[in-house]
Amino acid sequence: MKNFASHILSAGLIAGMLAACSSEKSDSASVAQTVATTLKTVIQGRREGAPQRVVLSAEEYAKINVPMLQVNPVTLGGSDFLQRAATRRDSGRGAVEIWKSSDNAQVFLRNGVVIGTRGIGRDIIAADASVTVSALKTGANRSGIRTFTISDGDVTSSKFQYRCDIRNLGAAKVTFANQSLTTDHFRETCVSDAAGGQGISNEYWVQRSTGVVRKSRQWMGPAVGYFDMVLLKY
Amino acid sequence: MIRHLAQTALCTSLFGAACIVPSGTGAQNVDGFFDVPSRPSLNFYGVTGLIDMPTAEALPDGQVAIGISHGGGQTRTTLTFQAMPRIQASFRYSGIKNANIAGFDTYRDRSFDARFLLNYESRYLPAVTLGLQDFAGTGIYAGEFLAATKTFSGSRVPGVVKTTVGLGWGRLGSSGAIGAPFGSDRPAFTPGDTGGELSANQWFRGDVAPFAGVEWQVNDKFGLKAEYSSDAYVVETGQGVIERKSRFNFGAEYQVNDAIRIGGYYLYGSEIGVNVQMQLNPNRAIVPMRIAAPRPYDIRPARRTDPAAYDGSWAKSQSTASGAVRDAMIPLLEAEGLTLVEARTTASTTEIRYTNDRYRATAVSVGRVARAMARVLPASVETFRIVPVVNNLAQSAIVLRRSDLEALETAPNSADALLAVAGITSASPALPGSARNESLYPKFNWSLGPYLTQRYFDPYEPIRLDAGLSLNLSYQPAPGWTVAGQVRHRLVGNNADIFRLNQSRLPHVRSDAVEYDQGGDTFIPSLYVSKQWKAGSDVYARVSAGYLERMFGGVSAELLWKPVASRLALGVETNYVKQRAFDDMLGFQDYSVATGHVSAYYEFNGGYTAQVDVGRYLAGDVGATFTLEREFANGWALGGFFTLTDVSSEDFGVGSFDKGIKVTIPTDWLLGKPDKRIRSTSVRPFSRDGGARLNVPGRLYEQVRSGHRNGLVGNWSGVWE
Repeated sequence: MKNFASHILSAGLIAGMLAACSSEKSDSASVAQTVATTLKTVIQGRREGAPQRVVLSAEEYAKINVPMLQVNPVTLGGSDFLQRAATRRDSGRGAVEIWKSSDNAQVFLRNGVVIGTRGIGRDIIAADASVTVSALKTGANRSGIRTFTISDGDVTSSKFQYRCDIRNLGAAKVTFANQSLTTDHFRETCVSDAAGGQGISNEYWVQRSTGVVRKSRQWMGPAVGYFDMVLLKY
Repeated sequence: MIRHLAQTALCTSLFGAACIVPSGTGAQNVDGFFDVPSRPSLNFYGVTGLIDMPTAEALPDGQVAIGISHGGGQTRTTLTFQAMPRIQASFRYSGIKNANIAGFDTYRDRSFDARFLLNYESRYLPAVTLGLQDFAGTGIYAGEFLAATKTFSGSRVPGVVKTTVGLGWGRLGSSGAIGAPFGSDRPAFTPGDTGGELSANQWFRGDVAPFAGVEWQVNDKFGLKAEYSSDAYVVETGQGVIERKSRFNFGAEYQVNDAIRIGGYYLYGSEIGVNVQMQLNPNRAIVPMRIAAPRPYDIRPARRTDPAAYDGSWAKSQSTASGAVRDAMIPLLEAEGLTLVEARTTASTTEIRYTNDRYRATAVSVGRVARAMARVLPASVETFRIVPVVNNLAQSAIVLRRSDLEALETAPNSADALLAVAGITSASPALPGSARNESLYPKFNWSLGPYLTQRYFDPYEPIRLDAGLSLNLSYQPAPGWTVAGQVRHRLVGNNADIFRLNQSRLPHVRSDAVEYDQGGDTFIPSLYVSKQWKAGSDVYARVSAGYLERMFGGVSAELLWKPVASRLALGVETNYVKQRAFDDMLGFQDYSVATGHVSAYYEFNGGYTAQVDVGRYLAGDVGATFTLEREFANGWALGGFFTLTDVSSEDFGVGSFDKGIKVTIPTDWLLGKPDKRIRSTSVRPFSRDGGARLNVPGRLYEQVRSGHRNGLVGNWSGVWE
């Protein structure tokens, strides 16, 4: 309701900025369309409810022949399959992989830990994951400070510091399609005085045989909340 | 593969669903917890308060509130801004129906408030605020107060209870007075007075009366209020617009959503009132902006593994290499909504000059240009010089080391770390030996669209509107040259439906607005030629001639000194203009004037900016304009200005001197997607002939600033977005 009203409000506010037609193929001509589409999507979204989450069959899984990360937003519903756009090593511990969604958003993972998002709104511009990566790599419990630089959604950003504890909860099975993996299950609990006192609670499942994070539930920033992620192929 | 999965109707863009519409209750909750909104409720004056009485609370820093209340025979519309954590300022427009004051059916008035939080609420001490109400108007609401508010919660009563006690003077001390501690020589309200001047000599004079009240915020949605009012409604009861049977007011309020709160009240034992309160914070975007993810930064091979890639022989001929870079960059920048102006490269350094029509925040465009450069430039290029250009004015050179960009994209503190190693320096006026984008000039643009003009605060009709079609043409034959014009045709509206005798004692430089509105349905608001260029690394220049604005035409010249990293800028502008004929076609009237100003601009910490313009105004009066604004890094700005000249307040007329407020809202903040346009509106309670400045199109300062250090740093994280 709140958002619907605010969309209406913004539609009204920009009514005065509408331009009808012009020689330039600039973005400005699309203001009216943007408002219309936004409203349409809001209304449709309310009618249809959350999109469905995808469960892969063994046949579909067998056809995957490129690195692929399945992402299931927890509160928003639906699924997407991300492809790896870049891999790099920098001075930090753990390699960084940049995964690209079907609609050109990105997730940055350092050794499986989210250190950035792009194109999803209120993005995580940067985050430090050294404590978490250290715990996941050694299998030991770790505690420390994690910092997040988070977009305010208007091309400004704010920094948040969290005190995080990462605990190894022991063995757990991870299953998807026809796969069943033996993993160690980690839970990361972060608290902060900032961010309205709201904490973060991430989970990771690290495959025993390879040391790779195959499954996780991680916080992706204030606009979208938590995503479940399964590394299908790497 | 992705396509196959898509066919099984799987991945209908999850991020699309997530972010074009960040609605869905889940997202809202996440957001709500992350930035807990704070919104003390407002009173009938649209300021933090009870029902008719103020409280000592302040709004969160930067908050903007709009209050519309109806009760006691009057409607008050108020814009309130928490300009600083302790300072709140308000502008109000009110109408009292059937009050035969100063000969109007509905007495309409404008008023300004200011209040200062003396003490933040602490565990034992209440918040304490000193306030001035209607401190510069014609004074019908004039009053001062000292209020204290204490919040209680967590006891046996659910919710939050706020209690307020205070002392009021003036209007707020008119009922139940207990004495006059600072003298009793307070003049009574005189309708029809010119007003507008600081009435400091009457502040805190006359009777003082206590007031008190309590607000009980039962839960997140419902609140109850009760107060003991010290306002006798002297004028209103005298005119019979309200019957005041009691000193007590009662009300119930409901928080509809994050932004809107409504209330119903039983006032003074005799009538019902309503209040609609809206609050928003410029720092909280309505729709979080979603910028399409950039291409991951292209990393060079290590010199150790591929030394041949670092060979610089490709750039032996500077002109050939520059031409190749230009040709490769043009389509890449175009895909980002940017336009390459020129490129120049050596084996180690490449400078790219470009214009940006998509991103309000220049920093985003800098990041996009850097990525495009990394994609096409040979590995031997280590230094990127990125120069944003606005209509022939190179704003600054952002100098980035390629190895820094490669190392920092995924670093924990990427934005601050890159800023620490970035150079933001002045750009030379021209780039000799560059390869220019030949397709840019000549350039012809046109647009046809609706227009809307408003006139506020007419005594009979608070808002008058004209609407019609506007044809805008512009032609740029060469860099910096612009020939531009507008033709408008009015279709509907009531701006011109006034009969009014213009009694201004000054040359009618602004007060003939009605005559212009009545001049004709088809008119030419502006038609001019201008040329702007950089006269030095830190000096910008402009000359314009033609029909510069609706009421004046002539010639104008401006020079601005603004070093890239300087908080201070200085400018000088001189104009010789003649008043245009009322039909706004090509003719002129007899009045002509030489007008001009020397200007100083300063950027303080925290986004506060000041501007002082000293010079001669359109009516030939001499004086200065003072502007103080608070700017947010996201493009919002709110502020006020006033002009003092050698025109006496009698000659100026109602309002005594020129003043007003200015609100700037960026379009991308409203839309949640990149858009360069910003909307700026100035509102003057009284627009008259004294202290009136020429409206020249294309003044330099705002054109230059977005690419200077302060403009870049506020949005610096956008380099990585």
